[in-house]
Amino acid sequence: MILRGRGISGGAARGPIVALDSPFNFLGGVDPSTGLLSNSKEVDIAGKVFAFPAGKGSTVGSYTMLEMKRQGTLPVAILNRKAEPIVTTGAVMCGIPLVDSIEVSLLRSGDTAVVDGTEGAVEVEGVEWKSVVTSILTKGDKFLILRRSGMVGTFRGKWAGVSGYVEVGEEPIQTALKEMSEEVGVTDAELFRQTDPIVIRSAGTVWEIHPFLFKVKDETITTDWEHTEHRWIVPDELPAFDTVPGFGRVIETLLSGKSTSVRTR
Amino acid sequence: MFLTRDEEAILNGERGCGAQRAMELLVAIGTVYEAECLLPIRSAHLSGVSYKTIGEGGLDFLADMASDARVAVRTTLNPAGMDLARWEEMGVSKRFADRQLEIIDSYSKMGVETNCTCTPYLAGNLPRKGDTVAWAESSALSYVNSIVGARTNREGGPGALAASILGKTPAYGLHLDSNRKPTVVIEAEIGGGVLDYALLGQVVGKKVANAVPYFRKIRPNPDEAKTLAAAMAASGSVAMFHIEGMTPEANDADLKGLERIGVGRKDLTDARESLSTGREPDLIALGCPHLSEAEVRELASMLKGRSKKTEIDVWFCTSKAMMERCPREVEVLERFGRVLCDTCMVVAPIEDHYSCTATNSAKACNYLPTLCSQKVVCASAAELMEMVT
Repeated sequence: MILRGRGISGGAARGPIVALDSPFNFLGGVDPSTGLLSNSKEVDIAGKVFAFPAGKGSTVGSYTMLEMKRQGTLPVAILNRKAEPIVTTGAVMCGIPLVDSIEVSLLRSGDTAVVDGTEGAVEVEGVEWKSVVTSILTKGDKFLILRRSGMVGTFRGKWAGVSGYVEVGEEPIQTALKEMSEEVGVTDAELFRQTDPIVIRSAGTVWEIHPFLFKVKDETITTDWEHTEHRWIVPDELPAFDTVPGFGRVIETLLSGKSTSVRTR
Repeated sequence: MFLTRDEEAILNGERGCGAQRAMELLVAIGTVYEAECLLPIRSAHLSGVSYKTIGEGGLDFLADMASDARVAVRTTLNPAGMDLARWEEMGVSKRFADRQLEIIDSYSKMGVETNCTCTPYLAGNLPRKGDTVAWAESSALSYVNSIVGARTNREGGPGALAASILGKTPAYGLHLDSNRKPTVVIEAEIGGGVLDYALLGQVVGKKVANAVPYFRKIRPNPDEAKTLAAAMAASGSVAMFHIEGMTPEANDADLKGLERIGVGRKDLTDARESLSTGREPDLIALGCPHLSEAEVRELASMLKGRSKKTEIDVWFCTSKAMMERCPREVEVLERFGRVLCDTCMVVAPIEDHYSCTATNSAKACNYLPTLCSQKVVCASAAELMEMVT
């Protein structure tokens, strides 16, 4: 998988990732003599591709990075969701690549990344990016969920919406209409809402899910081999079902209509 | 970010490694903030001087830069970890002093003026209204934005150094008119005096974080404005504020629809209480930010004719320029403590000798517990001088 962001500090490096999910302060956050993080003594960022959402705290943090360079405990590259001046300054002074606009929640400690700080590209080795659609069919206050059969490639036995891979050269909406016709035999649904893709990490795969909400006239559907059961449920019933990763977020964004990036057609 | 052909050449290393590194840094910061281009600056003021804060890594970096980079504009320096002449009296170790002097030497080689002060605007480096500058030192940059009407972002030490080497800074943040407008109105009902303004800054910085506050109903003198700026930059990260009838840009401010916050005596009393963590100081330190000429004279007149009746050490921190302007007053102060230049209680390694510091600076009260492991007594200059006499 290749993630594209903004190259803030140039250069290239390869190394194992250490990923954090909260902002990081170099001053006090790491012991410059060992490279060990202060709040979890087993985690060593020396020689690693260090990924965290953003820098925070004292501007002295830039000098902490210089001290780490001097002591040989500096990460080989830094990945941020949003870069700020403290880490930016430290990365440039130390001459290590920094790429931002990278969704660091998609990275896992233990992944290996090749970082190109000049182009702003991050290749995460052995992780695949897959683009899919998930369509939710609604009727009144209920929506349709389907149980995936034993014959599909992924997430067998789990509950999901009407889904499928976006093929090369296909627009997500085309995939959504095609899958709806094939999987549940619906051809006259009205597209009510679609939102920006939801991107999640599950094991060695990053799923880019394009959510669609359709209104149907009646609850009659015809499933094919891909599903074994279906139900029409209200949102409160959802927690009782074992669903595919990211499904809860898809439902939440589509039904609440509160997503920041809602587009309606 | 758009670069001229000349700027591209610097980025490609055609003017040496130091200039190249400086350009890389400005381009990176410009990219982060989506600046359109670089703006020429008239002066720079650098932080990142004390060996205590920048350490061996900083020392090596500066020595590296000094091997071929020179500053392009007038550039002054923040306080160091010791009085560059009287460090032995301060109890600073030889090892620390050697390294501190190496740092100063690197700056000097690059053409930076080495009178170390956080109030360069009182000591000769005073921008003019409308000047574009690149200043670090949160209290000074906020002062020149807000009281002088110059324009600077809240620079870090290396960013300000890079700007001074190239004579340029990326066009973003407080260099743009739209970001200098007030975003919140402060209705302050307070008395006066430096401590009150320090506490006002403490309260407002905490409440507004990095907003641009507009003060009504206050009329600070320059020393009160200096401590107000320092406190707001320490308890929050305010880099620009307006005072009605005082800030050059305050007349054009549109306050319609802005949130209004009231601050009164009770807020100041609460702030003073929450800053005070100690009871019996072993150091009394004034001059954060560095004492002005007026403050040196005022302290001397408070102490004239009295004698010291305590063992507590007293520091009066100021700049060389102020000291030279009032030699007689300095003589008076020297009978009660040390008049120190180039340094202050926050950046000197005071934790080696002291455990509880009394001061009238809200900025110092914020930093002393974390940077110097101190307990703190927060009191007015008059109260502090009472403790001594």
